[in-house]
Amino acid sequence: MPGDKKTEIPKTKNRKYSRRDFVVGSGSVLAGGALAAYTPATAAAAEKSSYPLSSAYLVYDSRRCTGCLNCMLACSLVHDGATSTSLSRIQVSRAILTKYPHDMQIHVCRQCPEPMCVKNCPAGACYINAANANVRMIDAQKCIGCQTCLQSCPFIPHRTIWDHIANKASKCDLCADTPHFDKKGGPAGAQACVVTCPVGALKLVTELPDQRDNIGYDINIAPPAKAKPKAQPPAAAPAKG
Amino acid sequence: MATPGFAGKILLVNLTTKQISSLDSAKYEAYGGGHGTAAAVFWDLCVAPGDWDLQDAFDPKNAVMLMTGPLSGTGLPFAARTSVSGLSPQCWPVNWFCHSNFGGCFAGMLKMAGWDGVVVIGKAESPVYINIVDDKVTLEDAKSLWGLTTWETQERIWQRSPARYGTEWQKFGDGYSLQWPAIVTIGPAGENMVRVASLVHGGGSGAGQGGFGGVFGSKNLKAIVVIGTGSIKVADPKELRIAREWWHTTWPRFTGLMRAETGVVGANCMACSRSCRNRNQIYGADSDNCAEATWYALAPPYQRTPTEVQWKSTDVAQKYGLNAMETCFMGPMSFKVTPDFPVQPELPAYTALGWYLKKMYDLGVVGPGKKVDTYPLPMDHYDRVEFAEVYAMAISKRIGIGNLLAEGTVRFAEKLGRLPGDFDTILRLTAWGYQDHWSMPGVEWAYGNLLDSRDINNHDVYRLLGPKKEVTCEEFVNIIASRTGAGGNPLWFDYSWKDEQAYKTGIYSEHKARFVAWRQHYATYYKESVLFCDWGFSNLYNDAGPGRKGYTPEAEPRFLKAVTGRNHSFADGMEIGRRAWSMKRAIFVMQGRHRDQEKFNGYIYRPGASFCAYANEKPIFNRSKWEWMNCRDLYLDDKGVEQWKTTYYKLEGWDPATGYPTRKTLENLGMKHVAAVLQSKNRLGSG
Repeated sequence: MPGDKKTEIPKTKNRKYSRRDFVVGSGSVLAGGALAAYTPATAAAAEKSSYPLSSAYLVYDSRRCTGCLNCMLACSLVHDGATSTSLSRIQVSRAILTKYPHDMQIHVCRQCPEPMCVKNCPAGACYINAANANVRMIDAQKCIGCQTCLQSCPFIPHRTIWDHIANKASKCDLCADTPHFDKKGGPAGAQACVVTCPVGALKLVTELPDQRDNIGYDINIAPPAKAKPKAQPPAAAPAKG
Repeated sequence: MATPGFAGKILLVNLTTKQISSLDSAKYEAYGGGHGTAAAVFWDLCVAPGDWDLQDAFDPKNAVMLMTGPLSGTGLPFAARTSVSGLSPQCWPVNWFCHSNFGGCFAGMLKMAGWDGVVVIGKAESPVYINIVDDKVTLEDAKSLWGLTTWETQERIWQRSPARYGTEWQKFGDGYSLQWPAIVTIGPAGENMVRVASLVHGGGSGAGQGGFGGVFGSKNLKAIVVIGTGSIKVADPKELRIAREWWHTTWPRFTGLMRAETGVVGANCMACSRSCRNRNQIYGADSDNCAEATWYALAPPYQRTPTEVQWKSTDVAQKYGLNAMETCFMGPMSFKVTPDFPVQPELPAYTALGWYLKKMYDLGVVGPGKKVDTYPLPMDHYDRVEFAEVYAMAISKRIGIGNLLAEGTVRFAEKLGRLPGDFDTILRLTAWGYQDHWSMPGVEWAYGNLLDSRDINNHDVYRLLGPKKEVTCEEFVNIIASRTGAGGNPLWFDYSWKDEQAYKTGIYSEHKARFVAWRQHYATYYKESVLFCDWGFSNLYNDAGPGRKGYTPEAEPRFLKAVTGRNHSFADGMEIGRRAWSMKRAIFVMQGRHRDQEKFNGYIYRPGASFCAYANEKPIFNRSKWEWMNCRDLYLDDKGVEQWKTTYYKLEGWDPATGYPTRKTLENLGMKHVAAVLQSKNRLGSG
């Protein structure tokens, strides 16, 4: 079952900086996408993989997100014809009483250079779709519901999705297979989450993002926010009651 | 098979018997969902049996009903509200059937769990909360939560749930989710049956008006918790997305982040895009950015309260679970009065509890050593946030004078022996004891307050009236009349209030009666039952729209058709609204409502009625031409109001002598069963 997975996740304790930290801290006005050049981490990941890289990746800005879940509802709508937070291939979790920016976590499929879901699927249902720019997909017809892809995903939470009604797995295909989408989907087309997000907190990039932690995926899409004004002292006593 | 957009069943929980069952939603679809469905359910459960006098909102027989609408959770903007209905302890002098609603993600989550609503009756022996995990519903012990604030309660319940950050998908029932359970809860105020206690969901999505927090408390119900792992079926998914995009691109003013360049990171209710809240600037995350954001905001003669202090204070109101609109201090706005106005150079926008208390203190009516002592309130420190904290605690726990304040402004004034005198001057409350808000000179808001049971809080028409640079007054009224979608007449928007023109085309005319009927039917269906948010709907005029036309009446039926598949026109929806509005009328009548009771409080009939308003410039039809005129001097005349009521009752098919609905009206609306009960109580209208 999904909760039984023993696969280790990439460690985050040693993280010293993020790309966002770099962008904001340096005062740079560079847009996030402008920094999408190959870093050693991305180059190493690409070289190590025996699979063709995806030509497109969904990235997000967790500090710009408004927590409306429009992306999730749009995702399940165009794929399944119904809205559901459990079936959405993009996941936004909001701890609403936690202070910004720790109140939001966003999880997207990373279209891994070495996709463990593809590698381990015993039914050949999880595959790389060459006709759609090598996006990693699951063929629902072939899926036998063994959940190997869920357990193989090296990230927590796993980015493959379990439909407990259909007993099948699914995953983000960048909208390549969307029977309920009025637009042409897929890496070369539109993605329901991207076009629905009211604040532009999602975008598609073509370069393989930095694979360390979320550095390459949680990027600064919006201009850096202005600093919050300092607290003012409490009101003085009234001049007259 | 339920209609798409509806889950198909309503959860019914009897806390006395601990019985958990369900009602078939299809039986109530003719009432539209939300508040309309709640009214019909209330009739069946609480009125029709005839074993209750319908007077006390704290009676275990009262039903508190949280309802979704057909669009909840389907990914449409301005459609995230959860409706709350039942007898209201805040309503005065009768605990009328009333409504409130709150935003956030509760409605969507409830629908995904497979429920169109939750109806709670009875009273638990000891504190409980209702835990909904898809179709599995349990009553959980809440003794350890009793006494906690709304925020502490939610945190504690989340700790009990599998929801965590940085963990794997969590199993809820048969499904999995990464969402945190949606919780609506009460704080100490609700527990102590404070009549102005709210329900709070998240940081500050609150159902304030009505005092339903106190109803929860009277039932020993601390919270309702829901997580849904299911899906909401949509009739035409492609059209739904296209319709949303059409709306976003045709009326672009309502898209995207409101404050993109200000450094404020917006936060939205489920599927909305207005970003009313913000993630990074409210002191406590998600506390709010609406009326409660100025709960403690002093205006002259005091030094204006710093924004950060206001935010901290807002958190206080949210945590205790207080209705901020009712208990606030004076709001950020005050309005100058005429020199002869008694004992008051300025009036605050809302003469709410915090302000009225200070006024009584200044007048020597209450205070240390007085008949009504102000213990434990440090009245000399009224201008400090510490006062607000003691004030909130005293009300919520009914300490000292807090026990009187907990009854709300109108009952506090009554206890002081100040009624009805203060109604003529400084206490601007609706007939049923709610803060006046912005009702005058927009008389349609005032009439709505009178006919319904609370401040109807419909900003839609109020905020669009006012001089426009782009169009003449005549062009303006023609545009908005054309967008009413139901034979609207420009004269609906004539605010002539003097001489015979007031009766001919103005505020006492049949035109105004038709407009008020339109508005009540619209609000009852589209806003309270479909649950479009007041900040987005209706929209008759829009600077960004084609020909400056708003998206009413196009967006409502298009969205609804995409979700439900029903080929309902805008007018069909208005008819559902009329049906639900008449159902409400029948409930009011069973509670004792009569034409003679529907009278405004004194200030409305006197100069000064329109002191407290921004939108004083109204369209006036001056016999031959339209012009904008300042209506700050507008007040109502008793004779005109009584004539207007006669006209309005006739339009609704209610007996003008009593205000009771007639058999013909009810039967035409498919409510023969309602007519039968009214007749058995001799409360059926003639005609």
